Amino acid sequence: MSSTVFTIARDEWRYWRRSSLAQTVLIIALLLAAASVWVTHAAISHTTEQRQHMQSESITAFEEQPDRHPHRMVHYGHYLFRAPPPLGSLDPGIDSFTGNAIFLEGHRQNGATFADQKQSTGLTWVGRLTPAYVMQVLTPLLLIVLGFGVMTREREAGTLDFLKVQGVSPLVLLAGKGVAMAGAGLLVLTPLIIGALLTVLKGAQVVPVLTFILSYLIYIVVWCALVLLISTLARSNSVSFSGLVAVWILLCLVVPRIASNTASVMVASPGKLETDFAVLKKLRQMGDGHNANDPAFKAFKDNLLAQYNVDSVEDLPINFRGVVAQKSEADLTEVLNEFAEQQMAQQQSQAVIARMFGWLSPMIAIQNASMKLAGTDLENYQRFMREAEAVRFEFVQSLNKLHAEGMSLEQDANKYKSAEARKAATVDAENWQMLEEFQFTPLPAGQRFSNSLTAVLQLLFTAGLVLAFTYIAGRRV
Amino acid sequence: MSWSDIRRETAFVLRKKSVSLLLVAACALALFSVWTGSVEVAQQEATIERLLEGDKADREEVTHKHHAYGYIAYYTFHLTYAPPSPLAFAALGVRDVYPWKHRIRMLALEGQIHESDTQNPELSLAGKIDFTFVIAVFAPLILILLLHDLRAAERAAGRHDFLIVMARTHGSLWPLRAGLIVLGLWLALILPFIGGAIVNGVPIWQMAAVCAVVLVYLLFWSLLCYWVARFTFPAPVLASLLLGIWLATTYIIPSVGNVAIEEAYHGPEGGDILMTQREAVNDAWDLPHQTTMDAFVVSHPEWQGKTETSSLFEWKWYYAFQQVGDENARPLFQAYQQIAEQRYEAAGWVALLSPATLFKRTLTRWADTDAKAAWQYERDIRTFHAELREFYYPFLFNGSEYNEESLAERPAFQPNNTNKYPGIFH
Amino acid sequence: MPDAVISASNLCVDVQTKKILKNVSFNANRGEVLALLGGNGAGKSTTIKTFLGLMKPTSGSVWLDGVDVQKAPDIVRQKVAYLPESVMLYGHLTAIENIQYFLSLSGKDKSETEIVAALQRVALQESAWRAALSGYSKGMRQKTAIALALLREAPILFLDEPTSGLDPVAIDEFNRLVSQLAAQGATILMVTHDVYGACHVANRIGLLRDGEIVGMFDAPEQGNIDSEAVHKAFTQGVVA
Repeated sequence: MSSTVFTIARDEWRYWRRSSLAQTVLIIALLLAAASVWVTHAAISHTTEQRQHMQSESITAFEEQPDRHPHRMVHYGHYLFRAPPPLGSLDPGIDSFTGNAIFLEGHRQNGATFADQKQSTGLTWVGRLTPAYVMQVLTPLLLIVLGFGVMTREREAGTLDFLKVQGVSPLVLLAGKGVAMAGAGLLVLTPLIIGALLTVLKGAQVVPVLTFILSYLIYIVVWCALVLLISTLARSNSVSFSGLVAVWILLCLVVPRIASNTASVMVASPGKLETDFAVLKKLRQMGDGHNANDPAFKAFKDNLLAQYNVDSVEDLPINFRGVVAQKSEADLTEVLNEFAEQQMAQQQSQAVIARMFGWLSPMIAIQNASMKLAGTDLENYQRFMREAEAVRFEFVQSLNKLHAEGMSLEQDANKYKSAEARKAATVDAENWQMLEEFQFTPLPAGQRFSNSLTAVLQLLFTAGLVLAFTYIAGRRV
Repeated sequence: MSWSDIRRETAFVLRKKSVSLLLVAACALALFSVWTGSVEVAQQEATIERLLEGDKADREEVTHKHHAYGYIAYYTFHLTYAPPSPLAFAALGVRDVYPWKHRIRMLALEGQIHESDTQNPELSLAGKIDFTFVIAVFAPLILILLLHDLRAAERAAGRHDFLIVMARTHGSLWPLRAGLIVLGLWLALILPFIGGAIVNGVPIWQMAAVCAVVLVYLLFWSLLCYWVARFTFPAPVLASLLLGIWLATTYIIPSVGNVAIEEAYHGPEGGDILMTQREAVNDAWDLPHQTTMDAFVVSHPEWQGKTETSSLFEWKWYYAFQQVGDENARPLFQAYQQIAEQRYEAAGWVALLSPATLFKRTLTRWADTDAKAAWQYERDIRTFHAELREFYYPFLFNGSEYNEESLAERPAFQPNNTNKYPGIFH
Repeated sequence: MPDAVISASNLCVDVQTKKILKNVSFNANRGEVLALLGGNGAGKSTTIKTFLGLMKPTSGSVWLDGVDVQKAPDIVRQKVAYLPESVMLYGHLTAIENIQYFLSLSGKDKSETEIVAALQRVALQESAWRAALSGYSKGMRQKTAIALALLREAPILFLDEPTSGLDPVAIDEFNRLVSQLAAQGATILMVTHDVYGACHVANRIGLLRDGEIVGMFDAPEQGNIDSEAVHKAFTQGVVA
């Protein structure tokens, strides 16, 4: 029986070899897949190098600042750049839609700036030339053009009945055709598989890479089965072809966008500007950390005086202004984080709605599985934002600590009085060596794997469903 | 061709299940896109309303709390925004990637203007269906499905020659059938648009222009399908050929063009602008005031002689170095902007090979939702920011006493309405 | 300009490098039935397609009612009714709807009574008139198509293997109909490989082999051709 399956598969391959249409689409698909792997890899390596360079430049610039008042360094700030993860060269995911640099400074949580899209040609509105897009959207089309006639051709030529009379069961025939199609799918997938395996050499973990490849394989199976199913059900070649193209349009082009529209209509996300109002309002209630005399700090001051058992802030062993800066930064950060988390939660709930459509469209499922495993999804972006915030808070508070402990209140208060006074209110530049080398790493392998499980499950579900239908349809041939 | 021909073929075309199914699907897609597009635009408008309210309250609070021009200028944010045009519902454009709202204050502008308050990136990746997308991308596919087997299906059924011999005139058969299908599709797509356009208050002439350009675009694809349908190949081969043309012009040419253009035009990185501006602003704290002021009066000679400072911190000096910081970063910013514009312009040439992209560029131009509109908004912000500086500088450099009433004269951002209805051939 | 209603003169048709028709000439006058007899690949269908303007002569010409088909295919098609070998009308339409559709396509407007009359004339059972054509047998489809040809009231008829696949009763009915039409003044060209059927209805039989007319059999009266001689010539390649 298995030999019959392979005989049928070989016969189908021979048919493709002799069909100029099949050959043309196979060559085009392979070229596209290879070109996309190469182009994206080149672009991502360039970006990675550049971002690493800018990152170290930013640290050097910070550390080379002269002796200064520490609060000046709070506003001088620091930049973080995000380098793409290794698998990002196969699926850049949302990276080109998010900013890749973030400016960290006191009292503010800036958004990531300079998304690549702002300098874009506007030509990639249908899709980018990335391996992920080629595999997710174009490979199904290739399988359709190759395979629309696998069953209808036999039916139209009358060979189907002939084969049945010869004792070939339709299910074996279907299996053979399926093997033939999977072979074509695998061929087009080769550049992506090679690319994925190469990332392991560059430090990508094995489990996500293997799951990444596996999920694409399941995706290919889904489409092979869909092509088989519709070709089995259709009366003629042209009905099969039109039907499959309609299914492709629906699953690969329509449903993903419907998902996105639905998510943004269902969950309105107010955006950063609007939350800024709320932050500003809270800030006024809490007092401005620049102004230690703000009445909002009265309770805090009384507490502190009691703690040190002194009567006035001048008698404190530490610089009261620095302490206020520390406290207000901590309070403010709490508020900022609250709003940031709220916004992230909104984006999450939008994404969750959009991802639910993965039960309907295998394209959405593979897109999510792929991004999650590559580490270029929303969760990883939010992880970057959280890590950046942690870095920000730490260096700002270190500086505020210097502010509190490195000078007296009197020195601090008189810093604009004269050049000498200003000099007195500075700390040594050696203190600027506080930044740690920052290298963003995506979620750990296990986490990425478990995040991708829903999407992989969606793929498996669709594969099982379509295979079951194909089996039922095959038994009725 | 006579009325009876038209009646006959209309009835015939509509009786084919596949045709009516595809027309209904196209209409449903257009309806969905128009509906969600309108909701999106309404959300943007509601956001602007809320922001305007919040902005006003916030400014009043600042005015109430501070009593010096320096502090007022430091703490007062001004909302700038680009409201969606009436046509925006049909062409959402790049408003999910380029900012259309900013709150800015009188500090160095380069530090503020590049912030992006954008939408969910994961949704941006999937892209959205707007009317433009339905027409540019889906309509050709639907046309291909409808028209590719115009003759091949009859040939496969053995009716082709019979039909030709029967037809009284050549025009009353294939061109009429194809024409009716195209007309049906056009109506299925354009009626939801017209509904949306009326609700969104799109001016009649613009509505007519969109209807016309949609028709021209559909006719282009129909003629292509009609031409290919003449070949005596089986229907799936013809459809593959047409799909290949669609894929090449809609995806391959633009995305390869994108790679080529990005390679060809390189300029400063966005991060460089921020770094330069930051260095300039921060270094100024350590420089003698006079150095900053000397640089400042080069661009503002009217304040020559009023730049003396008596203490280590003075607001006029503070804002002068903010201005100088912007001026230092300006060449970089201009280079960045120039690259963006060059890329966009080069993309215009690529679009000549991609009808879908050309269509999208046209519609987003009319709807003021393209990159050009985003740049215009950025220029508007720059103009407004300059006005703001011009307003405060006299108070700061003349050392005027604070007078709250003078704030009534303070410029307020006016969204650019002159550009709201750009000409068709803009 | 030939006087005959159907006329081919020195007709040659090449498809790519293959010569399908080689210097074929024949005439049929008003009221005559001309049968072209030939085996598979003899060029029968090509001849009809050339008369219908669906294929171009490489040299020579074909004339219908004094009009060169090449020069005005639309005009001559108005005068022609055509019965293809396997009639494929629209399966989702009924017999009456099919006829209405095709009549309208050719610019004719007939009342339903006239259509019913034609269907009665070709003896299509009444239960089939308003049923979708996809359930029809070949004979029923053939009858519908003949009814259509009758309603066209075309002075010239082209019949491509009209009786293949029909049962003997249907063949008899069909032949009678052809004779009637000829008697009413129609000029008919039929191509067939049915020797006896042709001899039964034709005034003149041309024997077509490998694209050439290898024999012509004439009879002043319809159905008077010596079928034995024709059969011999057809099967053995001997021309009397």
